[in-house]
Amino acid sequence: MKRLAKDFARNRHLYAMAVPGIVFLVVFSYIPLAGHILAFKNFQIGRGIWGSEWAGLNNFRFFFSSRDWMPVTLNTLYLNAMFIVFEMAFALLIAIFLNEIRLRWFKRTIQSVVFLPYFISWIVVGYMTFILFNNSDGLLNHALLRVGLRAVDWYQTPWVWPIILTLVRIWKSAGYLSIILLAAIAGLSTDYYESARLDGASRLQQMRHITLPLLKPQIIILVLLGVGRIFYGDFGMIYGIVGDNGILFPTTDVIDTYSYRALRQLGDFSMSSAIVLYQSVMGLIAVVAFNGIVRRIDPDSRLF
Amino acid sequence: MDRPIASSASGRLRWRAGMSEKMLVMLICSFLIAFSLICLFPFWLMVVNSFAADKSLAIDGYAAWPSSFTLESYRFLLQGKQIFTSYGVTASATAAGTAAGVAITALFAYVLANPKNRYRGFLSFMTYAPMIFGSGLVGFYLLVVRWLHLKDTWWALVLPYLMNPFFAFIFVSFYRSLPYELNESATVDGANEWVIFFKIIRPVSTPVIATIGLFYALQYWNDWWLSLLFIDHSDLYPLQLLLRQLMSQMQLSSLNHGGNVLTLPPAEGVKLATVCLTIGPIIFAYPLVQKYFVKGLTLGSVKG
Repeated sequence: MKRLAKDFARNRHLYAMAVPGIVFLVVFSYIPLAGHILAFKNFQIGRGIWGSEWAGLNNFRFFFSSRDWMPVTLNTLYLNAMFIVFEMAFALLIAIFLNEIRLRWFKRTIQSVVFLPYFISWIVVGYMTFILFNNSDGLLNHALLRVGLRAVDWYQTPWVWPIILTLVRIWKSAGYLSIILLAAIAGLSTDYYESARLDGASRLQQMRHITLPLLKPQIIILVLLGVGRIFYGDFGMIYGIVGDNGILFPTTDVIDTYSYRALRQLGDFSMSSAIVLYQSVMGLIAVVAFNGIVRRIDPDSRLF
Repeated sequence: MDRPIASSASGRLRWRAGMSEKMLVMLICSFLIAFSLICLFPFWLMVVNSFAADKSLAIDGYAAWPSSFTLESYRFLLQGKQIFTSYGVTASATAAGTAAGVAITALFAYVLANPKNRYRGFLSFMTYAPMIFGSGLVGFYLLVVRWLHLKDTWWALVLPYLMNPFFAFIFVSFYRSLPYELNESATVDGANEWVIFFKIIRPVSTPVIATIGLFYALQYWNDWWLSLLFIDHSDLYPLQLLLRQLMSQMQLSSLNHGGNVLTLPPAEGVKLATVCLTIGPIIFAYPLVQKYFVKGLTLGSVKG
């Protein structure tokens, strides 16, 4: 106890520097954890968290017996899986291709342009999507009509949206990911390439047999980071693009948009808490699994 | 007789290899150019159609080149008060949030990275634990609305993002890369940690401060999650929420209450002009700040 006090006295200036950060963490990260209690209560706003009655597991029973939990969970997993795979595939293509470009200005220009969509908010991206796909004024439908095809009512056709969302995702993030990968490529030793050239390896062979295998650790880490968050839907993206268009919910509604609507539109705090707690637990399992896998492949990159 | 045949065969082979190499480079370049054009195209559509006359939009929809141009949308938008109000909200939240966020995060991370801190491990764990087990939407909502009473206040747009653990860890990995002698020699000279931080550490940290500052600025500028949750009053609409309200079929006239002068029903052009004004600062700043983002990404992701 004395040592503790002495340490605090000696390092008081140092510890003081962390105080704003600690206050922030306590207020915005730890106090909200109390909200999880509501998952087990029948929350009435007038009586507060502590005054409301306990409801046992009723909220969970209600959620799991509803028609929604399976599709919402599956959508979250399925959309995230699509995003992870295709984003990475395109980012790799871009990075490996950019690495082959010798013209500095060309390389730099392309890099800047493909990175640009990362800087735009999902609201704006949602509007861009609307401009391309909307029924009456959309660019795509006008193009279809011009070549003599029928216009498609995209915003009433749920099955195409996983594809559209994936394309939008590639558009927005592949460039950003490719920059991370490109930095990793730049860190690779040039010796490999020199000896490969001496052995007469073509550029394609160099890409396939040198760059790709050497990038494997980076790829694995980036993919697994995505897998660790696979239960967390991208609220900003989905809500920014789909919004409250119920017709598209069967294929696009994810846990995050669902719990948001439960909270903000239905005002059902307890139900929303139950969903969020379910998500947190599943997310925790995913992260622990993720960490276990990373520990095996690349112990230096593990989280704990 | 053998020799010439062999040499001509290998010559042909080399020629063919040279051809396929060229083909490959062509293919790579066309892929990169095509992807870049796809990245730029939606931006182009936004900008060019914001100058399109309403009747052109009505006939052709959103076109790559509208048939008639006008400045009417911008004139209409800039006559109203709302766009200026929203600009003020977004700009002030971004400026304040970025400045405070960088300061808090830089100091907190300095304590996390400092070997004199005996609770480093514990503090790091407390920092990243909320990243793994989400603190939950409902608790967060209740915290801001019911306990802090920040609903419909400017503070609700600033406070919740003040410290991002991910950015803190980027700072930490940067501080760790500095030679510890910097700190030690100053300690021997009897300087306290505040002096060490501001006199020695901060000046050498300028690049990472710039990078993290830009990340914060981008996060604040593009955010609409906080305003979606907490802002109902149009006097406090940030740009992104204003856009969302315009998009979600809400009548412009409903922005009227509170003395804002957008009186006509929403024209497509007005929405497009709002988008352009919203992303304008990002697009103009982009060429200048892009390299800092690239630096930050490589710093944060390669080292983990």
